[in-house]
Amino acid sequence: MHRSLQRGVLVASRRSRRALGGVRWHGGPKVPNDAPTITVTFLQPDKTRKEVQARVGESLLQTAHRNEIDLEGACEGVCACSTCHLIMPQDLYDILPDPSEDEEDMLDMAFGLTDTSRLGCQVIVTKDMEGTEFKMPAATRNFYVDGHKPKPH
Amino acid sequence: MSALLCRVSRLRLQPSVRLSSFIYSLKFDLTHVPSRKTLLVNRKCFSSYKIAIVGSGPAGCYSAKYLKSSLDKQQHRAQIDVIERLPTPFGLVRYGVAPDHPEVKNVQNDFAALFEGTDESMETVNVRFLGNVKVGWDVTVTELRSIYDVVLLAYGCESDRRLILPGSHLPQILSAREFVAWYNGHPDFVHVGEQVSKALQVTAADTVESVRNAHVVVIGHGNVALDCARILAKGGQNLHDTDIASHTFPVIGGGISRISVIGRRGPIQGAFTIKEIRELVRLQREGYGTSFRVSPQELKAGMNESSLQEMEGLAGRPKQRICDLLQKAAASASETSECEKRVDLRFFLKPLRFETKEDDPSRLSAVICEKTALRGEPGRQKAIGTGEYESLYADLVLVSIGYKGTALRGVEPFFDEEIGIVRNRNGKVDHSNDFECGLYVAGWLKRGPSGIIGTNIPDAKDTVASIMQDLQVTKPRVQRAGDIDSILAERKIQVVVWEDYKRLDDYEQTHKRSDNQPREKVVSIKLQLEAALKFY
Repeated sequence: MHRSLQRGVLVASRRSRRALGGVRWHGGPKVPNDAPTITVTFLQPDKTRKEVQARVGESLLQTAHRNEIDLEGACEGVCACSTCHLIMPQDLYDILPDPSEDEEDMLDMAFGLTDTSRLGCQVIVTKDMEGTEFKMPAATRNFYVDGHKPKPH
Repeated sequence: MSALLCRVSRLRLQPSVRLSSFIYSLKFDLTHVPSRKTLLVNRKCFSSYKIAIVGSGPAGCYSAKYLKSSLDKQQHRAQIDVIERLPTPFGLVRYGVAPDHPEVKNVQNDFAALFEGTDESMETVNVRFLGNVKVGWDVTVTELRSIYDVVLLAYGCESDRRLILPGSHLPQILSAREFVAWYNGHPDFVHVGEQVSKALQVTAADTVESVRNAHVVVIGHGNVALDCARILAKGGQNLHDTDIASHTFPVIGGGISRISVIGRRGPIQGAFTIKEIRELVRLQREGYGTSFRVSPQELKAGMNESSLQEMEGLAGRPKQRICDLLQKAAASASETSECEKRVDLRFFLKPLRFETKEDDPSRLSAVICEKTALRGEPGRQKAIGTGEYESLYADLVLVSIGYKGTALRGVEPFFDEEIGIVRNRNGKVDHSNDFECGLYVAGWLKRGPSGIIGTNIPDAKDTVASIMQDLQVTKPRVQRAGDIDSILAERKIQVVVWEDYKRLDDYEQTHKRSDNQPREKVVSIKLQLEAALKFY
């Protein structure tokens, strides 16, 4: 923000938006505020359900963040991590456009991968997703035991 | 005087505290202005938990994030101090992630949001960055435990698993961790450049564009090994528009002509992930003048019965995809021309010793390996020597067989020296009554050096759950042996707070060698502190 003010131009840089208390920038389509919305549900890791409004044309990661769903997006939605991993219902998974090779590569690293897993930043909301429930993977793996032994080589 | 006034006015303090701290500051000799942190006073919240997190990498920052949100939800007041040895935060995100993976570093923005804060008086949980503070030297873990309610160790792994073989003392054999730190501009590893330069026999005739005719052998089958191979193949100039440290250009120039990545077991046992393999396969097509080779015989040997079982099911999906990719690469090798540079991904080679040149016993000449075969049950296969040998010519060796944790003073009783982790149960280390302060651990120091940035998410949540469980039955302590700001001020430690780091961050983003690079890293602690603590 400091530098952009020096230039005399309010550059909408990542940092200045945050300093102004704005929402952090995310990779993903720029969808206008008045875009049509549908109702979807997120099944959260603690098994509670949250019903939210999703804007048609935005990514599911953007939907989650706009509605304060606790879905991480470490790389900010540019398909460079697996933290926005969501589990689709089978029938939706079958009709979604195929994931790109890059998305498949990232999914390989996802925690709790399933047969119907997708990255939230790569799935775009469409009207026919009305009423869909997206499941967030639970973090249940127990890594840490006293006397942990590394895998033998 | 005006400098001091400027300094005080820039502090974000409550008005009453600002006045008293200004008066307090006048006690000091103005020619030696104390650390700004002595003038910043913690909010006087007597019922506020004080939490120290040692380390500001992904483990420390995710822990701070989830602790803050858990404490916020339960409306506890707390001060979380993230204490970092270096003036710069974010650990391996800054010094480990490869320069040609800039999008992986986006997570820094998420972490930065923790320290930015808004209006401190509105925050129930305040998170501070205290950089340039070396826990173990400037302040000990024992001291931290006498002034905080919770101490969480998240300082990762600063050492290596060692490969002790005849010849492994040679100066041409380096740890991959140090090599990565060097090309990423880590201030403690600037000296590595000279070692690499000598090993590659770089002369005045070598330009920043020319390919170095040398053999590099990288030992290890993880992503760090593949990153090293890829950076060596691309060379400095091709990475000009990244945040790779400028001091790499005269050393690695236009790249290295021959790079071999070797490991004891097969492709299915490799710890690498497919994205990094794909990048090596694509080097030629993307114009880096580097061909990629993998041996069809070695791939075939990797498809033994146990390995095929390891590829089954959803858990085996990543392995299956890697195998498919490598098979395709092997098959299309005849269609791709040879390039000036080449990366060989080799399997079933176990290094036995390092040979020196006949005419110069101080110089490495080759890595002598024994060929191996896999034996054992799926998930537990071992590499067994076959009695056949191969000699790999080498000018430089990078050993990439794993990072390893070390114990800070005060942590030794809880430290497992063999594995290099702090013994814990769900992140909880010690909660004896001696200290009235629970000790916890998160990240690589907790689970060992494996996983990616995102792996720290469930890890940190696990440790935070343990902390929150303990805090249900623990009130903020009444007796503290002091506070961190006073202790550091007394010891004249130049603390780098978040605003100071932002100054350095800004400096790096405005003093660039190329408009397209994200930043030009400052590679000396002295210069980092100058940029951070400078007052305009």
